Amino acid sequence: MKKKMNRRTFLKYSAAVGATTAISGFPTIIRSQPKEILIGSVQPVTGPLADIGIACRRGNQMAVDEINAKGGIKSIGGAKLKLLLGDSEAKEEVGRMEAERLIKDGAVCIVGPFMSGIAMAIATLCEARGIPFVIDIAAADVITQKGYKYTFRCFPTVSTFMKNMGEYISQIVKEKKVSVKKIAVTNTGDLFGRVQGKGWVDYVKAKKLPFDVEVVEHIEYPVGVADLSAEVAKIKAAKPDLLCPVTRPGDAKILVRELFKQRVEILGIASPGAPGLYEPEFIRDMGKLADFVLNNVPWVNPRSPKFKEINERFSKLYPGKYVDTNSGYAYLGVMVIADTLERAKSTKPEDFLEALRKTDYKENPMVGGPVQFAANGDNLNATSAMIQILKGEIKVVLPKDAAEADYIFPTPQLWER
Amino acid sequence: MDLSYVLQLTISGFLMGGVYSLIALGLSLIFGVMKVINFAHGAMLVWGMYFSYTILKVTGLDPFFSFFVSAAGLFVMGYVIQRTVVNRIMPFHEAMQVIAMVGTMMVLENLAQLIWGPDPQSPQTKYSLSTLWLGKVMIDLPRLFAFLIAILIAALVFVFLKYTDLGKSIRASADNRTGALLVGTDVNKVYAVCFGVGAACVGAAGSLLVPLIPISPHTGFPFKLTSFCIVILGGMGSLPGAMIGGLIIGVAESLGTIFIPSSLKQVISFSIMILILLLRPQGLFGGKG
Repeated sequence: MKKKMNRRTFLKYSAAVGATTAISGFPTIIRSQPKEILIGSVQPVTGPLADIGIACRRGNQMAVDEINAKGGIKSIGGAKLKLLLGDSEAKEEVGRMEAERLIKDGAVCIVGPFMSGIAMAIATLCEARGIPFVIDIAAADVITQKGYKYTFRCFPTVSTFMKNMGEYISQIVKEKKVSVKKIAVTNTGDLFGRVQGKGWVDYVKAKKLPFDVEVVEHIEYPVGVADLSAEVAKIKAAKPDLLCPVTRPGDAKILVRELFKQRVEILGIASPGAPGLYEPEFIRDMGKLADFVLNNVPWVNPRSPKFKEINERFSKLYPGKYVDTNSGYAYLGVMVIADTLERAKSTKPEDFLEALRKTDYKENPMVGGPVQFAANGDNLNATSAMIQILKGEIKVVLPKDAAEADYIFPTPQLWER
Repeated sequence: MDLSYVLQLTISGFLMGGVYSLIALGLSLIFGVMKVINFAHGAMLVWGMYFSYTILKVTGLDPFFSFFVSAAGLFVMGYVIQRTVVNRIMPFHEAMQVIAMVGTMMVLENLAQLIWGPDPQSPQTKYSLSTLWLGKVMIDLPRLFAFLIAILIAALVFVFLKYTDLGKSIRASADNRTGALLVGTDVNKVYAVCFGVGAACVGAAGSLLVPLIPISPHTGFPFKLTSFCIVILGGMGSLPGAMIGGLIIGVAESLGTIFIPSSLKQVISFSIMILILLLRPQGLFGGKG
């Protein structure tokens, strides 16, 4: 039975449509007043990196809440910040679409996006739209080498990672007088995994390490892989002294368990810098197997009072979690934006960019100095620390002046613990 | 090349292939009977994993014993999905079926994320790290158990289809829907049961994977793609095809890493799929093309 549209139903529908427009329409007008400043956050909240994406979104949100609790942006009449939420699903095209949507919804700038590939896509978009893009996390050098005017990055670049990794590994080998002759490298197949893995392989091959060493195996596997038995068998056959994996959360666990099962004898695991090997979930699920993993990451600065303050708040909000690279840099990204808005005294892109270039943000909870941007948009003082999991806790072990504990190397074999 | 290395890859691949087979069996059964491609198959696998994971967390019962609970849970889920979604879209064009099935997948995946969170969970079970050594070759015990149980379940499904009345009605409805209706079969019920059995297979497979891979709401995706390849390799709707196909793909993916980079692992399964489509489109065990 088909309903006919008569005068009454038509009136009913048009009244409903009118009401909806009124309800959804009015707040838009209110929103456009400078009472609320919209920041677009694009993170991989669902998909294979969902746990990291959520940690990043929480970091972004924590900074917004802190600013609002302290009275908003004072130079703009105490305007409150509001985070517009975007979800990239860990896909480049979706990340770009989400950023586009947030810009349409009135975001004055974009923060995010954890993945280098997505950062590339959003940087191009922001350049075209004239909207500032503050990268909290994304490491591939290429993002800031395109001459983009609107893109700034708080996170260290892959070249910084490699330089630090080289120095830390040299120091370890020298201090412990061990012989590292063969290195195996694994990485995931996304843009970050690829440049980070290849970066380290190239670094070693270029003989930049002060001892004689070669890369005996370089394995790449897709993000979200379900089985690494063949890959680990390959590593075992190559008989490396040191394994340098570039992982993501799921595969990190599979990798370590396979190394255990196949009894791969190595001096230790030292990542040139990758997520997956330091999150609370890794330690929770892996127990003793998590211990002694070395990781060269842009970690929190355990001596920074700012870190202590936010870590306390974060663990209270999300029991069992702590501020790590992901939530920490996500927090920093929004704090830098707030600091910029305060100095810019306006939300206009040109004023914002002008102020962003002069950033000197000192309350940095992460290792490294104050946030200052180079001409290409990179953070001059972003750096990494070597961390090691010791008895289920993460400790900074290098550089010495930030160290909380002495590192252990060579490490006990996984099955002898 | 080291022989033990090759042997290692073959064994790991073969054992994993058993679990692939069970996943593909469910997919093939559903397609064979209803001609509907179950895009929610990967998401169902994840639900099977989470059922066993929850049981492990709450009662401490090992996934290798709780797999039948997952299978039962997934049977109910499959039955309900068939009745509410699949049954309505069966007469439609394939493209329209895809939309409904992908929608189901999204609902299941995101529900899982809502309930269990996004973190990859990888609980330690008693023997998730146990191994058996034959000289230099390692046999991963959880993988071996998973393989044996998968084969056992598959055998039970064969027996069910071959010798029970309900199984016979399922085969009858698959062969000739009108004929089955004419002799008084309640085809709708048969379809729902069949979808349930397919879902139960993938649910059990999910449990068996708990000690092997971290569970997250999106874990199912690569398995879904692999099982599509297997089903095409073995022949759409052919159950022995799904079993043999699973083992072939398992071994091929594992051995393939000797020759090509691991990041191109899926190239192997897809190349096999394309070759089969070119040379024998009905699949290894398929009937008339």
